Amino acid sequence: MSFGSLLFLIHEAFLNIRRNGLMSLAALGTVTIALTVLGASLWTAYRINEIAQDEPKTFNEVDVFLFAATTRDQTNDVMARLQKRPNVGHIRLVPKETAWAEMQSREPKLTDAVENNPLPDKLEVEAVDPGQIDRMVRTFGNRTDFPEVENVTAASDEVKILLGAARLVKAIGLTAALCLFVATLFIVNNTIRLTVFARRREIKIMQLVGATPGFIRFPLLLEGVFHGVVGAMIAGGLVLYGGYAVARYVHELKTPLLGDVPSRLGPVELVGGLVAIGALIGLVGSHFAMRRFLKQV
Amino acid sequence: MIDLQDVTVTYHDSMPALSHITIRVQKGEFVFVVGPTGAGKSTFLKLLYREEKPTSGRVVVAGEDLNAIAISSIPFFRRKLGIVFQDFGLLPTKTVYENVAFALRVIGMPRKEIRHKVPAALEMVGMAHRPDAFPGQLSGGEQQRVAIARALVNEPALLLADEPTGNLDPDTSIGIVELLSHINQTGTTIVVATHDTAIVDRMQKRVLGFERGQLVRDEQDAAYRLRLPETQILPTDTPVEASVPLSTGPQAATPQEMPAGTEGEATLPPAAQSAITAFFSQAVAVDTSTQEAQR
Repeated sequence: MSFGSLLFLIHEAFLNIRRNGLMSLAALGTVTIALTVLGASLWTAYRINEIAQDEPKTFNEVDVFLFAATTRDQTNDVMARLQKRPNVGHIRLVPKETAWAEMQSREPKLTDAVENNPLPDKLEVEAVDPGQIDRMVRTFGNRTDFPEVENVTAASDEVKILLGAARLVKAIGLTAALCLFVATLFIVNNTIRLTVFARRREIKIMQLVGATPGFIRFPLLLEGVFHGVVGAMIAGGLVLYGGYAVARYVHELKTPLLGDVPSRLGPVELVGGLVAIGALIGLVGSHFAMRRFLKQV
Repeated sequence: MIDLQDVTVTYHDSMPALSHITIRVQKGEFVFVVGPTGAGKSTFLKLLYREEKPTSGRVVVAGEDLNAIAISSIPFFRRKLGIVFQDFGLLPTKTVYENVAFALRVIGMPRKEIRHKVPAALEMVGMAHRPDAFPGQLSGGEQQRVAIARALVNEPALLLADEPTGNLDPDTSIGIVELLSHINQTGTTIVVATHDTAIVDRMQKRVLGFERGQLVRDEQDAAYRLRLPETQILPTDTPVEASVPLSTGPQAATPQEMPAGTEGEATLPPAAQSAITAFFSQAVAVDTSTQEAQR
């Protein structure tokens, strides 16, 4: 194919997109919607996965709060006794002073109103087997064995439920994303088939004036890729905007669970990935759509 | 130009669309293919541009053996032909100029040459004044002229027209066949499938008559129907003799019966006639290297 012919075919593709405006718009709209839903579900699944993977540190931990009046010697004694208990790994002491300083820097308005540090010492006890956490909570809260202990909480109490939900959401998200990917393929393929079907007369005329199959195919493939790529770019924009809106909302909630876990998937990767998927869907879709018409010589 | 030897076309074990057809058309001839709907006219034309393959028999068109032609060679074979349809077959999203230029674009002709040829072809069919119009903005007759310009712009040796006047009023139809007749006078072989009695009667050319897939008539300088004794009805499988009349009709007209000024010799305006002559004289002068490049 000569360079002149190539330019003509590229020009043809864009002329067709412009002059078949309504059909192009329908194809573009369908691709955009399909890829937006696909992109959003893929991204959600990916983010939930990232956040969930960030959590296990708190998942296998028991927090033991001592009475505020407990002295440092008594605290060390409790630490030593706890260490002898089964299933106990590393124990970290969070002194009341450290906790108070941290709180002062985080919530100055709240702490300014309080004269003395009301916080107790806290012991963060690592569980060797996270499955035993419930038993540990019961044992450490036993007043007879540990009279200095006021309260025992396991991060797992709250995290367990949320992580369980997160795992479920992740599984559902991944399954949904997979189904959506297949559905997107069908929808886009069908839409492109419609655009090609609307042009079957044109294809026939091209065949009768002596156009080679490659000459007929090229502009239509280019159109399919164009619809896929532009639809993916719009979809990428929508997903990013939606994603940031959700992230801002979550940030405002200040939920420790969904803290600012950095994402390895940046906007460039997200949009780039969607564009690649869009281009592939457009190319494959238009190839299969026109194969039928081109068979009839 | 066209050589069919004992050709039969059968679709899905039904009655043959064409049965044992043997026809030879010489270069430069003007042939009408007539017959009722379903007689096999369109199948005959489709054989000629290799839209259909014969079930048996041999088809040679413009020197190409269509029984043996490779699929990949069909587009190149079709470049030797011009094809005109009843529904005009123009691309609705392209202008008149672009539609005609398209036939040259697909064969890779340089833009400079296209700019030269397209206006000449439009001039020939009397459509040079509306190059920027879209098909939807034209009348049926105008669209058919554009379709003829597209079929001829590549200077084909053979022009095939399937019911070219089927969607046109009688006056416009006459204009279209006059145009075809003048094109024929420049040496282009023309085959027109039609059931338009008026134009066939007017032109008095060779007529191939089909009925139920059989060639029932092949006659020179003929009208659409031949006058027969009112009672004579021949079976459709009767062997054909070129001079044997097989059907009759009350509207049959002989040249002698036609109104003055309507017989055979077409009456195109002088300007159109000179445009046609000019176009084909240019065609003769076309550099042979360009012809090669097109292939």
